[in-house]
Amino acid sequence: MTTKQAATRPRGDGAAALAFLTPSILTFLVFVLAPTVGVLILSFFDWNLLSDGTFAGLDNFRRLFTDERLLGVYGSTTYMALVILAVNVVLGLLLAVLLETGMPRWIRAFFRLSFLFPFVVSASAVALIWRFLLNKDLGLVNYLIGLTGLDRIDWLGSSTWAPISVIMVNSWKTIGFSILVYIAGLQSIPKQLKEAAIVDGAGAWTRFWRITFPLLSPTIFFLVVINTINSFQIFAEPRVLTQGGPGDSSRTIVEYLYDRAFGDFDLGYASAIGITFALVLVVLTAIQFWFSRRWTHYR
Amino acid sequence: MNNRPTVGHVAARLLTFVILVVAAVAITAPFLWIFRGAFSGSDAELYRLPPTFHTENLTLGNFGEVTEQVPYFRFFLNSIIVSGTVTIAQLITCSTAAYAFARLRFRGKGVLFAVVIGSLMIPIQVTIVPLFLVMSKIGMTNSLWALIFPGIFSAFGIFLLRQHFMALPYELEEAAKIDGASRFHTFARIILPLSGPSIATLGILCFTYWWNDLLLPLVMISDTDKQTLPVGLVLLAGRFSTGSLGTIAAGIAMAIVPVLIVFIAAQRYIVQSIASSGLKL
Repeated sequence: MTTKQAATRPRGDGAAALAFLTPSILTFLVFVLAPTVGVLILSFFDWNLLSDGTFAGLDNFRRLFTDERLLGVYGSTTYMALVILAVNVVLGLLLAVLLETGMPRWIRAFFRLSFLFPFVVSASAVALIWRFLLNKDLGLVNYLIGLTGLDRIDWLGSSTWAPISVIMVNSWKTIGFSILVYIAGLQSIPKQLKEAAIVDGAGAWTRFWRITFPLLSPTIFFLVVINTINSFQIFAEPRVLTQGGPGDSSRTIVEYLYDRAFGDFDLGYASAIGITFALVLVVLTAIQFWFSRRWTHYR
Repeated sequence: MNNRPTVGHVAARLLTFVILVVAAVAITAPFLWIFRGAFSGSDAELYRLPPTFHTENLTLGNFGEVTEQVPYFRFFLNSIIVSGTVTIAQLITCSTAAYAFARLRFRGKGVLFAVVIGSLMIPIQVTIVPLFLVMSKIGMTNSLWALIFPGIFSAFGIFLLRQHFMALPYELEEAAKIDGASRFHTFARIILPLSGPSIATLGILCFTYWWNDLLLPLVMISDTDKQTLPVGLVLLAGRFSTGSLGTIAAGIAMAIVPVLIVFIAAQRYIVQSIASSGLKL
C-alpha cells in the first residue's frame, strides 16, 4: 500500500532528477545548444569565414526556395534513406531472429561477429573498399555478374545505379548495428512466455506475432527512429563512392550542405540548409512517435 | 505432441542456415580481399579476376610503407585516447540521464526528453562551424580535448538506455524502495547490474563511432601529430585516388584489426552479461 501511494505522489523526485541529469545538461548546453544557436544566428548572415559577416535578413531562407538543385538533392536523399531504413529494420529483424534459433554457440558467435564486422570499420574505409569492388571494368561484383551471363553494371557512373550502390554499401555497413540491438531485445524476452506458448501448442509463426513482436516493439520502434535519422545523415559513402553524382543522383543533403559550407564558404546559406534539414528530421520523428502509440507495447 | 523432427522442421533449419551463410559471406568477403591485398606486392595481381589467394609477390612491405608515409603509431595512440575517454564519459552521463527519464518523476520531464530527442536530429555536420568557433573560444582547438568534449553528450545513448531501463520490471525497485534505498543506490545496485548488455552495447557503439569519426579531427586539428586514424587513412589514400592499392589495403587492415580485437572482447562480455542478467530476471 505504501508503494502505491509513493507511486502516485504528485511532486516526484525533482532533486534526484537534477543530480542525475546535471552531467548531461552541462555538456548539452556547451557542445550542442550553443552551436545550434550559433547556426540559427549564422543563417541570418552572409559570411565567408574571412571577412566580417553582413546581416542578410531572410535572404538565405529565400534562396532555399529558388535553389533548384536543393529539391533534387532532397529527393535522392529521401529515396536512399527510406530504402536503407527498410533494409535495416526488416532484414535486420529476419537475420536476428534466425540467429536466435537453436545452433551451437560457436557457430552463432561466428555469424554474429561477421554481421557486426563492417560496423566497426570507418565509413570512409568501407566506401574505399567498395569503390574497388564496384569498379565497372575491374571490380569483383561485375565479374560475378558476368559469370551469370548478364551485362556489366556501371555501379558508380550511372544515375540509376549510383544511389543503389550507396544504399547497398551503407546497408552493408550498418545492418550489423540493427542486428545487435535486435539480439539484445530478443534476449530480454522471458523464455517462460515462449515455453508456455509451446506447451499451449502455438506454432513458430504464431509465437512470433503474438509474443516476440509485441515484446520487441519498443526495440523495433527505437531502430526505426534511429535508422531514419542516421540514413538521412549519410555523408561519407556518397562522398567517397560517387562524389554525389552523376549529377545529383546520389547526393545527400548533408553532402550538399558540406559543399556550400566548406567548398563555397557560404556559411550563412549552409546554415539555412542545415536548419531546414533539422526541421525535416524533427517532423519525421514526431510523426513516428505519434504512430508508435498505436503499435508499441511497454511492459 | 510429437517431438521427432519433421521434414518441414529440417527444411526450415536448412533454410535458416543457408540464409545466414550467404549473408556472412557477402559481409566478410570484401575484408578477406583487403587483408589479402595488404600482403600483395603487385597491384596488377589485386585486380586479377577471378581473385585468388595464391600470390607470387607475398610481402610485408606494404605495412612498412604505411608507417613510412604517415606517423601511424601516433595516430593510433591519439585514437585510443579519444575513443576511450569519450566512451567512459558517455557511459556515465547517458546512464544517469536515462535513469532519470525512465524512472524518476519531475517537472519538465516531457519537455526535456523532447529536447534530447530533438537534438538527435541535429547532425554534427550542421553545427560543425559554430562548434569550431566554441572550441576556439575556450582555446581547445588543435588539442585532443576538441575531439573528446563534443562527444560526451549523447542523445542517442540516453534514448538507447532509457528504452532498456523502461523494459525492466518495476518490482525489484519497489522492494528496494520499501527498504528505504536512495535513488542513487537503486540506480547503482539494481538498474545498472541488470543493464549489462545495453551498457556494453552503448560502449561498443560509442567507441567505434569515435574511433572512426573523420569530420571532427579534420575540422578541429591542424597538427599532423594530433590527428586520428581515419584522417591517417585519408592522408594515406591521397584523397582516395592516388597511392598504391596494396599500401591503402595495408593501412585499412591496420586500422581495422585493433577495433576488431576490442570488439571481439566486448562481444564475449555481452554474451556473459546477458546470461547472468537472464538468471536474475
